[in-house]
Amino acid sequence: MGITDFISAAWDTFSTPSPDAEEPAQANKEEESSDEKEESSDDAEEEEEEEEEEETVDPKETLEEECRNSKECHPAKHHYDACVERVTSQIDNDGKASEDCVEEFFHLAHCATACAAPKLFSQLK
Amino acid sequence: MLARSALRTARSAGAAARNATSKTASRSASSSSSTAEGAAPWTANALPVGASAFAIGTVAWYYHLYGRNVDAMTPAEEGLHPTQYPWEHAKWHKTFDHQALRRGFQVYQEVCASCHSLERIPYRALVGNIMTVDEAKALAEENEYDTEPNDQGEIEKRPGKLSDYLPSPYKNDEAARAANNGALPPDLSLMVKARHGGCNYIFSLLTGYPEEPPAGAVVQEGLNFNPYFPGTGIAMARVLYDDLVEYDDGTTASTSQMAKDVVEFLNWAAEPEMDDRKKMGWKVLSVSAVLFALSIWVKRYKWAPIKSRKIAYNPPIRSPILDKLPKPNQKS
Ligand code: HEC
Repeated sequence: MGITDFISAAWDTFSTPSPDAEEPAQANKEEESSDEKEESSDDAEEEEEEEEEEETVDPKETLEEECRNSKECHPAKHHYDACVERVTSQIDNDGKASEDCVEEFFHLAHCATACAAPKLFSQLK
Repeated sequence: MLARSALRTARSAGAAARNATSKTASRSASSSSSTAEGAAPWTANALPVGASAFAIGTVAWYYHLYGRNVDAMTPAEEGLHPTQYPWEHAKWHKTFDHQALRRGFQVYQEVCASCHSLERIPYRALVGNIMTVDEAKALAEENEYDTEPNDQGEIEKRPGKLSDYLPSPYKNDEAARAANNGALPPDLSLMVKARHGGCNYIFSLLTGYPEEPPAGAVVQEGLNFNPYFPGTGIAMARVLYDDLVEYDDGTTASTSQMAKDVVEFLNWAAEPEMDDRKKMGWKVLSVSAVLFALSIWVKRYKWAPIKSRKIAYNPPIRSPILDKLPKPNQKS
């Protein structure tokens, strides 16, 4: 066996600790710690979990809502709101709309999503 | 050359025009001709100037007729262009987040798999990327697959193996259409590559259903308004809602989190070689960087004697005899 074989074998052995070797240990640790917690505060955790489930709000919705009302998207929002007003009054008066607000909606959505995108992805895993 | 001569003609044309006006002016003032002596008459440049004007005119006319884009579709028919999201895995020095892939696969299985097939992904592809061998085997065994014909020529059922492909929700496209109001839920294996905008599009599509369509928009019976889908009427209703799935790793399952995970998973399904490709790219970069550095050192080494040599010229000793010869520039 040459010296290079020896070195490469040594490298293989020590450079990449085999993943399966460590994983169970970690998992066990986590389990143990969570077990402990559960024992100590069983009821409290259950409540917390329930609450959490009810509370989940989509960060995309909140961020985009903020963005829609920001100064940045003000022109787009203004046009959209004006269009909605116009079209609703058309529907109220004539029974049908002679235009739609899809384009205005696009511009507003484009502005809001572009503004929220980086903030959203920093919040998601 | 051409430009310069063109400029010169233009300048002289200008001068001719100026001369012409001054000539008429002076003529109306007094009948004596005085200034028009040296200037060329404007008719001399009429041909090149006229030709240039005609050339510019034809280009302008061509642009007017054919130069602009013709957009036959309205913005609504084009669909809203998806926003660029900062995908971590798309960066050239980043890999898929395999924890996210695992979550994404869970979302696919629990939500999308009831309508969409993923027929290009075998269980073996999941091994090492999304789950362990044992998990994948267990998953495969949950489904039944056809056997080869037996001695009697009958096809029986057997539990799935790692080499089998993920099962499709419908027997064929017709069955899929029949179950979905006539709309075919497309296979998702290559969906990220198959749509303009890729990950951004699918993420926007899944999370972009507004609570109600904008005022005045017409949404056909059986369709749902989605700004990102070309035409804005899509047969797939909103499928992702907060807390629809429960993640093993405790991640909060908000709508956008599930969408992000399933899109990253679909990107993996379409491009499973991405991690390897990036690894290979780094290998190429590092090997060529080493070779480049080596080549510079070798070049230095080889050129050192050539660059550091000194060319010396020792003039011969002048002998007094030469001084006696007549100098060439001295006239004798
Ligand atoms: C209830 C059945 C159903 C479910 C569940 C479902 N889809 Fe769909 N999906 C459809 C149908 C039907 C279409 C075809 C829509 C059309 O052509 O109008 C479709 C189309 C699509 C398209 C293609 C859009 C295009 O540009 O052509 C994508 C991408 C997609 N679905 C992704 C998903 C993902 C990801 C999930 C899981 C989170 C999912 N779908 C869940 C029924 C479903």
